[in-house]
Amino acid sequence: MTSPAIHICDLSKVYVVSQQEAGAKAALRDLVRRRTQKIRAVDGISFDLAPGEIVGFLGPNGAGKTTTLKMLAGLLHPTSGEVTVLGRIPWKREKAFLRQITLVMGQRNQLVWDIPAIHTFELNRVIYRIAPGDYRRMLGELTELLDLGTLLNKPVRNLSLGERMKCEIAAALLHHPSIVFLDEPTIGLDVTMQRRIRAFITEYNRRFGATVLLTSHYMADVEALCKRVVVIHHGRLVFDGDLSVLVKQFTEHKTIVVQLGDCDADLKAYGEVVSCSDGLTTLRIPKAEAAHVTERLLADLPVIDLLIEDPPIEEVIERVFAQGSP
Amino acid sequence: MSYLRLLAAFFRVSIRTELAYRVNFFVQLFQSLLSLGMALGGLAVIFSFTDTLGGWRPDEVLALVGVYFLVGGMIRLVIQPGMEEFIDSVRTGTLDFTLTKPEDAQFLISIRRLQIWELIDIVMGLGVLGTALVRLGTNVGGGEAAVFILMVVAGGFIIYSFWLILATLSFWFVRVENILVIFQSMYEAGRWPISLYPGWLRYGLTFIVPVAFATTIPVEALTSRLTWETLLGAVALAAALLLVSRGFWRLGLRRYSGTSA
Amino acid sequence: MKGLVQLYAQQFRTTLAMMFQYRASLIIWMIGHVLEPLVYLVVWSVVATTGGGSVGDYTKTQFAAYFIVLMLVNHVTYTWIMYEFEYRIRQGSLSFLLLKPVHPIHSDIADNVSSKMITLPFMLAIAAVLAVIFHPALSPEPWAIGLFVPALLLAFLVRFLLEWTLAQAAFWTTRVDAINQTYFVLLLFLSGQIMPLTLLPHPVRVVAEILPFRGMVGFPVELLLGRLTLTEALTGLGIQAAWVIIGLVLLRVVWRAGVRVYSAVGA
Repeated sequence: MTSPAIHICDLSKVYVVSQQEAGAKAALRDLVRRRTQKIRAVDGISFDLAPGEIVGFLGPNGAGKTTTLKMLAGLLHPTSGEVTVLGRIPWKREKAFLRQITLVMGQRNQLVWDIPAIHTFELNRVIYRIAPGDYRRMLGELTELLDLGTLLNKPVRNLSLGERMKCEIAAALLHHPSIVFLDEPTIGLDVTMQRRIRAFITEYNRRFGATVLLTSHYMADVEALCKRVVVIHHGRLVFDGDLSVLVKQFTEHKTIVVQLGDCDADLKAYGEVVSCSDGLTTLRIPKAEAAHVTERLLADLPVIDLLIEDPPIEEVIERVFAQGSP
Repeated sequence: MSYLRLLAAFFRVSIRTELAYRVNFFVQLFQSLLSLGMALGGLAVIFSFTDTLGGWRPDEVLALVGVYFLVGGMIRLVIQPGMEEFIDSVRTGTLDFTLTKPEDAQFLISIRRLQIWELIDIVMGLGVLGTALVRLGTNVGGGEAAVFILMVVAGGFIIYSFWLILATLSFWFVRVENILVIFQSMYEAGRWPISLYPGWLRYGLTFIVPVAFATTIPVEALTSRLTWETLLGAVALAAALLLVSRGFWRLGLRRYSGTSA
Repeated sequence: MKGLVQLYAQQFRTTLAMMFQYRASLIIWMIGHVLEPLVYLVVWSVVATTGGGSVGDYTKTQFAAYFIVLMLVNHVTYTWIMYEFEYRIRQGSLSFLLLKPVHPIHSDIADNVSSKMITLPFMLAIAAVLAVIFHPALSPEPWAIGLFVPALLLAFLVRFLLEWTLAQAAFWTTRVDAINQTYFVLLLFLSGQIMPLTLLPHPVRVVAEILPFRGMVGFPVELLLGRLTLTEALTGLGIQAAWVIIGLVLLRVVWRAGVRVYSAVGA
């Protein structure tokens, strides 16, 4: 039994925030006696990651994903509990530890803005003390895998959001880290780019055996990448297991939004009607029947527009939470 | 050793960043010359009415102007851009990237950005200083030059620590970047010998906002005014402030990562 | 007209509400406004002492009076509009102002005046402290004090109109730093902030009297110090009034051109 790459045991992070109410009287009161509130951002979670695993860390906004990730990267000091990454304690921030990890944050850049990305790469090369041969090899592989081509020589501010993200990811991986933390890497990207980045992560994991922890609130990210998912809600783990189990158990439905001229038509025959307003009817259909029902709707009714959606992650999570943790 | 390589790497990045905006060079040149013109103009006006200013001869005050631009350029080359970018990174969260790098975070944020074109001010300052020394006819021997450089370095470290302490406040307060602008206002007062000012102002410009260490004191080294007490005091203060600012920085980092209770 | 009054009143309330947010930048401006005249006060006092008690027709205590009054007059007339304008154009928020049926200058004036209503008491307190320390000497005639108020008002208008016009350079270039700095250097030298204009060599002094800068700061100061004859005072007021008119004309012309440039690019 190889030791886990990441080991978390009963990890908690509690913030103390001051309560502030509006109004002059309350403000005066606060001056004399500050009222505080304890927020349990992360509340006693435990799980392990084996080397080379890709695990999706799911949960709605504010669930505690980013807080957990920051504790693993050594950015936050836990309130209680145990956490080791590659056998080391992250918040000690030992240099040897930092050389083996990397952090990619969606919508936040580490690339220097006004100059081509290649120069930030060079900077990282010096910071991480990458040997020239290793650097060249890694750069070549990343360029190929991410299809960077000429992007590296254009100033970063001239790149599109998706191109920038690709370069950010490459910059983060130059030093060949064995632990990769991805915090919402596909947020704000178009569907094509999201798919490309997912494909890259899979390939990187396959080629280099890196352990990947990916946070997201997109179901699609997780479906594409992770066999195993960990779901966190209100700071607590509510699911840790195979993705297929999660999908089968909790996302058996799809949502179809049909735009007709009005709300007069009775669509009960097609599926469970969730709501109807301004001519937009929302139906909940068992997943297996979605294609068939869509066909029927298009054939039978004067459909102006039709949209098939996965239920939002919040709905899935709510159902997971409601059913209790395993 | 690795610190030098890092410094060189950041230097390269900064040069490239500035070269991306070549027009900046000409604008900076124009603005620097304008500042110099203003300083020299003010000097000319004052000294058309008197031969000495508080015991300082015109060319001694000229030397002071030279050091004012030299040290000012150094501050705006290295210290100011790094601190401003650091304060911004606390607000936007990009500080997290710096903290996951395997190098000392204080060092990284300090040299992160260099405003290369401030070299113009440094060169200009050296030119004015050199001219003043020639006109004074002082023989600047190896000893004096060494002491001068020591005072400039000590002054530089004092200013750096001062800025770092203020910038570290952004771990606790949000609108800290405004405080740094106060320094720039007060630095203006450094164009004149500190000895001119009334006691309370002199005290403020030495110990509260350490402008005196940046300008007057290094020039005193070249105009035979520097006392042993001042020299040792400056060096001691520089060392002490470096330690204090480092300690405060670490305290701030611990607060940022939620270490303290 | 009534609408304008209401606008100004509303802007005052808004500025008050934002005071707390902006207190840091206001304090910074105040520090600058105190420090600069203070430095020159000290320097000129030293020059006066070494020069046998006075420089030109200014004694040490008269320098003190000059710079303390200058500090207050400068504070009353200063603007920050060129920075604000550059920010507006860069952010695109100018578009919102263009949609309103009122010229944006009104809310700017109101904002400027409102914030000074808050800071002026502090500046007066500081001036009082400085007066205790430096013993200023001033002896104006009653008519000089009387003319000081319109002079101050005109000074504010001249400065605001011209600086607002200058701020519109941001329509044409991002390099407003250089333009602003050039303006400030001229202002510093020719408005009497570095030294009383009477100390300038004669040809320069004549030019300075015609240019608008003296009317922005130095002229009201000289007036209150009792250093001008009635003729000189009235001439000064006339020059100020002339620059207000020039300012208004320039403002309209540049504003129209600027808006055209702005909308052409795509607001």
